[in-house]
Amino acid sequence: MSAAQRVLTREKISAGIGSWLSSFTLGVTEVAERQQVPWLTLSYADNITERGFKYTFQTSPVSSAQAEQALDLVVELAKRNNQPIRKAALIGDNTAATVFFFKPLREKLLQAKGIELVVDEVWTPPLPDATSIVQKLRATQPDVVFYGATNFPDSIQVLQKVKEFGVKTHIQGVGAWLVTPEYVKTVGKELLDNIQAVVAAHPLKGQEELVKKFVQRTGEPFMTQDPLCSYAHVWLIKEAAEQAKSADPKAIRDALAKIDLTTGPAASTLSPGRIRFDERGRRIGAVPLIVQWQNGEPFTVVPVNLATRPVVWHK
Amino acid sequence: MSIGLALIFGVMRVVNFAQGDFMMLGMYLTYYYAVVLGIDPLVGALVTIPPFFVVGLVLHRVFLARVTGGGDPNREMDAQLILTLGMSLIITNATTMILSPMPRAIRTAYATQAFAVGPLLLNQARTYAFFMALCLAAAVYVFLTRTDLGKALRAAADDPEAASYQGINVRAMHGVAFGVGIALVAAAGGLLATYYPIEPNVAVNFIVLMFVAVVLGGLGSIPGAFVGGLAIGLVQSLTLLVLPLQLQNVGVFVAFLLVLYVRPQGLFGRRARTV
Repeated sequence: MSAAQRVLTREKISAGIGSWLSSFTLGVTEVAERQQVPWLTLSYADNITERGFKYTFQTSPVSSAQAEQALDLVVELAKRNNQPIRKAALIGDNTAATVFFFKPLREKLLQAKGIELVVDEVWTPPLPDATSIVQKLRATQPDVVFYGATNFPDSIQVLQKVKEFGVKTHIQGVGAWLVTPEYVKTVGKELLDNIQAVVAAHPLKGQEELVKKFVQRTGEPFMTQDPLCSYAHVWLIKEAAEQAKSADPKAIRDALAKIDLTTGPAASTLSPGRIRFDERGRRIGAVPLIVQWQNGEPFTVVPVNLATRPVVWHK
Repeated sequence: MSIGLALIFGVMRVVNFAQGDFMMLGMYLTYYYAVVLGIDPLVGALVTIPPFFVVGLVLHRVFLARVTGGGDPNREMDAQLILTLGMSLIITNATTMILSPMPRAIRTAYATQAFAVGPLLLNQARTYAFFMALCLAAAVYVFLTRTDLGKALRAAADDPEAASYQGINVRAMHGVAFGVGIALVAAAGGLLATYYPIEPNVAVNFIVLMFVAVVLGGLGSIPGAFVGGLAIGLVQSLTLLVLPLQLQNVGVFVAFLLVLYVRPQGLFGRRARTV
């Protein structure tokens, strides 16, 4: 928050983007609102756009909506592969996005689909030891684990324990933190294979040229949600500034509130290809994607029409 | 981890807030040993000891001796708190700037394998780290009780003035204590790196528990720090049998408060004489 305060009070800022972690975004957008600077965020937590703020614009589907949509997609995928989901587990930390993702699953969604919740473990990062969590997974054998460990060391600990204990449960990550290149370097591609994550954005069919340029310029092995959203946000600010014919923050805010984009780099990056915001600042019609690790690289597997690889269901 | 902290406090009466940061640097050095030189991290952890001993000696000579008085019991000690806190901030931020905040990890086969002991599964990396930590603790014990240098260290800790009358260079002993303390925590970091990711802020995950172990065992007591560390691990694990995961560390702090209520000087601490 102090960094946001410093930037927004000392510099003449027309619009901003960030943060990554919802818990940080909650603080940063508060500063942006006070300073009346429009702020675009890729963060998921529902309460980012539940505070009546006028200057916050959330391009990702919110966590609770992602939970509902992701559950539908995972259940459908499992059915299609003749392995219906009967038991599920929720394991993750208590950062904002994970909390809002787990809440509807725990309270109604799983029950509505006839899925039994067999493990429900939430911790405050850092996780001292993942043994007890993975022991519970081993004992209860859920068909799917919804996994939200946003703190890298915690996440690595859990994955290492999953391998150590030979747990074969299907892992469905909650957020793009699980599809970064650091995971391949740390745990190896074999351990990651078939792990899925529900994300707000990931390279889609037709974006091969953009990904190629990104890889060439940055040296990163692949493109993920965070650079994609930043790319889309910059284009979105440019569109809003052009529509407002001004770099004034208030004019850009008003242009963003009225924007309706169906073409251009921003619209083609954020599925399903249209950008407009409701009165709370949430992108109307935003849908999550499902990404799957395959041979050391994460690929979009759902929705099928925009997927870059077919899904491989965990056997 | 805690033994180094206890040694530094026991001999120098310095509360080293930068202890966790030296652990982090030990993790990085072990990482580079593994990645660049291909040294197994279990061996690499031990190879961190000599360079960090020298780093400790130098830091003591250049900074700490100026604020601790090199054994002068009448010297004000407040400045050392600010100094070690400042060192901690500088080390963390410099590491972030130089090595980036990107997490790294050493990929070892034993990090994801377990020894099966009946129905129990013991993680191989943690088991190796535990036994190596035991060996290091035993080596420190032998060093302090069986060598002239160790005995001189203990004398300097017990009564600096009397020790100096016996011809012991208390300032030099403080340097050795700081060097050994830093080297031990760097080696502990190296062992930790066999199964835990490395990042510049990793110290915050451990520093509080390190202090709890030292205070629980009795400030300045080496066996106390060892037992305190073991007790914390045990309480953390057993807490999960009765409390949810989120309250895992609550068990540790409740046990800590209970022990201090019954024995304010800690498990192995000596009660100060009062008039």
